[in-house]
Amino acid sequence: MELSEKLVRGEGRFVDDIQMPGMLYLGFARSQYARAKILKITGAQLTHREVNFEVVEVGEGATEGGPAALSHPVLAGEYVGYVGQPIAAVYSDDRYVAEDLIDSVEVEYEPLKAIVDPEESLKREGMYPGIKSNAIVDRYFGKDFNPDPSDIVVERRLINRRVATNPIEPRGIVAAYDGHKLTVWVSTQSAHSIKEGLSEALKMEPDRIRVVQVDTGGAFGLKGGLFPEYVVACYLAMKEKRPVKWIETRREHLLASRPGRGVVANLRLYAKKDGTITGLKGDVIVDNGAFTGGSGEFSPMFIARQLAGAYKLPNAYVRAVSALTNKAPQGPYRGAGRPEAMYFIERLMDGLADKLKMDPVELRLINAAKETYTSPLGMQVEKSREFLESAIKELNYEKYKGRENVGFAFLILYHATAGGESARIKVEEGRLKVWTGGNAHGQRHDIFIKTLLKEELGVPEDLVDAMKGDTDQLADGVGAWGSRSSMVLSSAVIVAARKIKEQVEKKHGKYTLKALLEGNWDEYEFFKYDKTESSLGANLVTADIDSYGRVMVKECLSYYDAGRVLDPDNARGQNAGGAVQGIGQTLSEELSFDEDGLPLITSISDAGVLSADLVPKFGIKFYKSESPLPSKAKGLGEAPTIGVPIALSRAIELATGKLILETPIRPEYILPEERA
Amino acid sequence: MVSKKHISITVNGEVKETEVEPRMLLAHFLREVAGLTGTHIGCDTTNCGACTVIMDGKAVKSCTILAVQANGKKILTIEGLSKGREKLHPVQQSFVDKHGLQCGYCTSGMILTSYWLLKNRKNVTEEEIRAAISGNLCRCTGYDNIVESIKDASKKMEEEGDPIEEHPEIKVRA
Repeated sequence: MELSEKLVRGEGRFVDDIQMPGMLYLGFARSQYARAKILKITGAQLTHREVNFEVVEVGEGATEGGPAALSHPVLAGEYVGYVGQPIAAVYSDDRYVAEDLIDSVEVEYEPLKAIVDPEESLKREGMYPGIKSNAIVDRYFGKDFNPDPSDIVVERRLINRRVATNPIEPRGIVAAYDGHKLTVWVSTQSAHSIKEGLSEALKMEPDRIRVVQVDTGGAFGLKGGLFPEYVVACYLAMKEKRPVKWIETRREHLLASRPGRGVVANLRLYAKKDGTITGLKGDVIVDNGAFTGGSGEFSPMFIARQLAGAYKLPNAYVRAVSALTNKAPQGPYRGAGRPEAMYFIERLMDGLADKLKMDPVELRLINAAKETYTSPLGMQVEKSREFLESAIKELNYEKYKGRENVGFAFLILYHATAGGESARIKVEEGRLKVWTGGNAHGQRHDIFIKTLLKEELGVPEDLVDAMKGDTDQLADGVGAWGSRSSMVLSSAVIVAARKIKEQVEKKHGKYTLKALLEGNWDEYEFFKYDKTESSLGANLVTADIDSYGRVMVKECLSYYDAGRVLDPDNARGQNAGGAVQGIGQTLSEELSFDEDGLPLITSISDAGVLSADLVPKFGIKFYKSESPLPSKAKGLGEAPTIGVPIALSRAIELATGKLILETPIRPEYILPEERA
Repeated sequence: MVSKKHISITVNGEVKETEVEPRMLLAHFLREVAGLTGTHIGCDTTNCGACTVIMDGKAVKSCTILAVQANGKKILTIEGLSKGREKLHPVQQSFVDKHGLQCGYCTSGMILTSYWLLKNRKNVTEEEIRAAISGNLCRCTGYDNIVESIKDASKKMEEEGDPIEEHPEIKVRA
């Protein structure tokens, strides 16, 4: 049955749908303090004494060899670093009893003064004994320069606060062990990352681990990596030789998953009086959380390197820092560093336009890169002026120019194409089975895989089965993130299809669909790709604000270079979905904490996820181009989470007359004065 | 432990009788006792709507209703919409045709809320649709394709009728 049909019948197979005889339900007693020494644990079935593993970094933005002392312990050792950190595990064959057992765990703590603010963290004592500085990353990008004293300077302190990824399906795993092989079924973006992570954490040979992706109910960056709970589930399955299930509650998701954003930037943009930008200086500080194993070792560098935006920036010198804080580790969230970087440079551009009393889009046009170049911060900036001219026309900017409720964003999206991707096509009994290394979790890769195989091999769509991730069926793989799948995953499928076509030609003299379907063929392709590709985009947003300070987004339009658009319906869905997340980040989504590091957001109703009545109908147009990859496509999944917060913040800035420097924009900040 | 209670709930036309702990949630009863895993749990707090089912004519969120509260009631889950038929229900078909789902996790609840809406309103406007599904969160689609699916379903239901009407045992007052 086709995937959509299965899902609308309620016949999908998500991780919590799996039932096995003798299955144990796992639960976690979690830290109630943001920072504390653990003195005593009673009533637990598993603690770090037995399960003394650490979670290594895998998945999107994983970096090699972070400070080992800061790896996330699977179950807390001497110290806890955030509210919600797993301390002890309990289990039962009844999920309600497992919940009861969580409450029977008692932990004695010696509370310590929490470190909540990343900038303050840099001035405080080390978070753990033996740690001298709380900066786990501290690097400079670009080269110091002396600005021209006659230059105009715009200085801003800009903040993107933490946001929960909030896929509607929470995290979850089922693990089973047959005495030799560990099999896990998991909601994931990357079966191969989970396998690699489990192998390292459990110190098991990779060929003794099989990871199977089940239907995955959204992920948005979160589900690319490995989590402490997954390691405990596997450990317990092996210890008890019984299947083990762990399903995250929403509260656990909000406390202890891997939220995104959480970045502060203090930046100065220099420009000549005619608007030509001359340089950028300052720092970017990431709110890392209490351990490595998220993306905090990667994101400050990634953000700093993108700060030229799509502009010609002659000079730049930026410090990139990741600071330990008593919060769950920061992780990738749709865009993962891209929205932050573009928000910072674009807000500075709007500020500069105001200072020069110029139209902000006119200022962007002056500074758009006329030729492709490598910015002083290290990223290749593609020539962007031509695209911007086209965007101004296609978004009908002249109609909106000068209005006091319109914002415009110009963005460059760096696709995570580097690393390539894998695909395997197996033909038997007249059908094609396709496995890919990137595992879809709401992007509907199945649709474009069928389109491409029809083009390449002439196979009718109903003869193709797009399979879920399975490490026993596919030798290697990367993952679905970073707007990469329409580029590298699709290309791996195309190349594998071409290899099969060649095989058929070799055997039969020429290729025919009949020869293909009557034979048995099996081709694996790891499509290697080393380059980070990029594409340009623009957003235009208008918004009104009522007398209660409520923002209503009126129009939200996208103009993106998506190369060859593999599936227009899907592309529209990706755009609208990303745009709602962009509006959410700007208006309502925030994981906030009090001064003791206690989370203030513990249910999805407080988390600011927007419903259908609070968002407009979205519009998207495509710039015509082709990527150099076999699929000719360019990714777009993250473009709206980059562009929409920028354009909406500007629209609100103009509508309220208040400088917008932070997301989300808290309602009290923009409340009309007569009501404040 | 509190003693178990005997309950009898009609789910998609079939009577399910069993003993349950009084604290068992209806969502868990449907998923784990009745084996109907199309009802999903997303937030545990009645906000996301992934667990929406129709209970005696009302769209309700089964994650905060106890199974004992559903005793003696008739429930329609996503599986009931096309039960025993190869053909999809018009609302399900519209979600397929108009790309009204991506990951598929919110879909069951979204479809049942839509079904409830379309049973109660003819010629629905976009505003009515958006208000009706405001208790169902979707993180993938941005809602546009869902709204289009519901508009399309409204048309399909006008033209083709509601196949559930022909199955009095499944039919719930909606």
